[in-house]
Amino acid sequence: MRKNILMSAWIALALLLAVGIFMQQESGAGTEPSATASGKSESTSCVYPKEFMKSHHMQVLDEWRHDSVREGDRIHVTPDGREFEKSLNTCLDCHSRNKMFCFMCHQYANVKPTCWNCHLSPMEVTK
Amino acid sequence: MNQQRREFLRKAGFAALAGLGAAAGLNPLHALEKTDTSVFPRKPVEGKVRWGMLIDTRNCPEGCTKCSAACHFEHNVPDFSGTKNEVKWIWKSPYEKAFPTSGMQFKSDELEKLEVPTLCNHCAEPPCAKACPTEATFKRWDGIVSMDYHRCIGCRFCMAACPYGSRSFNWQDPRPGIEIFSASYPTRERGVVEKCNFCSERLVKGMLPACVEACPGKAITFGNLNDPASDIRALLAREETMQRKPELGTLPSVFYII
Repeated sequence: MRKNILMSAWIALALLLAVGIFMQQESGAGTEPSATASGKSESTSCVYPKEFMKSHHMQVLDEWRHDSVREGDRIHVTPDGREFEKSLNTCLDCHSRNKMFCFMCHQYANVKPTCWNCHLSPMEVTK
Repeated sequence: MNQQRREFLRKAGFAALAGLGAAAGLNPLHALEKTDTSVFPRKPVEGKVRWGMLIDTRNCPEGCTKCSAACHFEHNVPDFSGTKNEVKWIWKSPYEKAFPTSGMQFKSDELEKLEVPTLCNHCAEPPCAKACPTEATFKRWDGIVSMDYHRCIGCRFCMAACPYGSRSFNWQDPRPGIEIFSASYPTRERGVVEKCNFCSERLVKGMLPACVEACPGKAITFGNLNDPASDIRALLAREETMQRKPELGTLPSVFYII
């Protein structure tokens, strides 16, 4: 009999613990990212990992255009809470130290994107 | 069933219930659902804002074109001198061209030589957006009839649909027609239609449209038509105003005081 009571107490304790841990996780996931003013050029790392950006920057730009132009959703938040404006200028601002940033890679890959037919390229903007 | 086993199960059940009750008492927060409020303000609310413009032609100086000069510089609108390849966002039209259906047979001399600034009316029922086959032109959440030049295929259906002639086509590369490039807005390319965008790129930064800022007579009032407390609504309530071709049912967002 004593063994039984002990057993039930253990089960109750385990249940209590499980619920407690679950709740803690929930509240942990809910904490809002400590987002300060939009980082932009102060940020030293890109909106996505470098390798992903190498292969997918065009999809990112396409998504950003859709979100900002059609939905009015202009702020991109990275998983670690940094905020960026969804704009081609955000990219160009950050990578402005190397004016050939876009061209070097596009030339190497022999792709001819039409961005600069309308957008002023880093070579045309004097800063 | 074994009596001892039955007893055990009963007690275990009670203990579990007690445990749950205790847990609920200790943590009164809801364990299963939490609403992340940070996602709410990201997207603007559809229809909360409807940008509108009121042009008081009594304060519009004769012969002044500062509004169109400022706008055309800001948005890299080319100037190809002459009407053949003309691209225009805001320009001055004679009264009878701007209001051809206003039914004035015997106009006063003043009205005869009056020129009014005309631009895209950002209609609440935009015929151009309905005509566009690629959704390059669309009505935004804030009432602005906007264009995505990337999607424009240059079919010019929108130009045929617009009853105000507010749209221009780039028959040639616009860049040679731009004297000084403005870095605040891209240019367009050959084969796309363009028009006034109510300076949506400036509104985002909390600035007024370029034409409003440039007007020396402060003739242009810009504001939210859906806000009864806004300046533009106060003026609309107080003054007698006109719209261009109101009988078409396009519900323009640009109003005029003549």
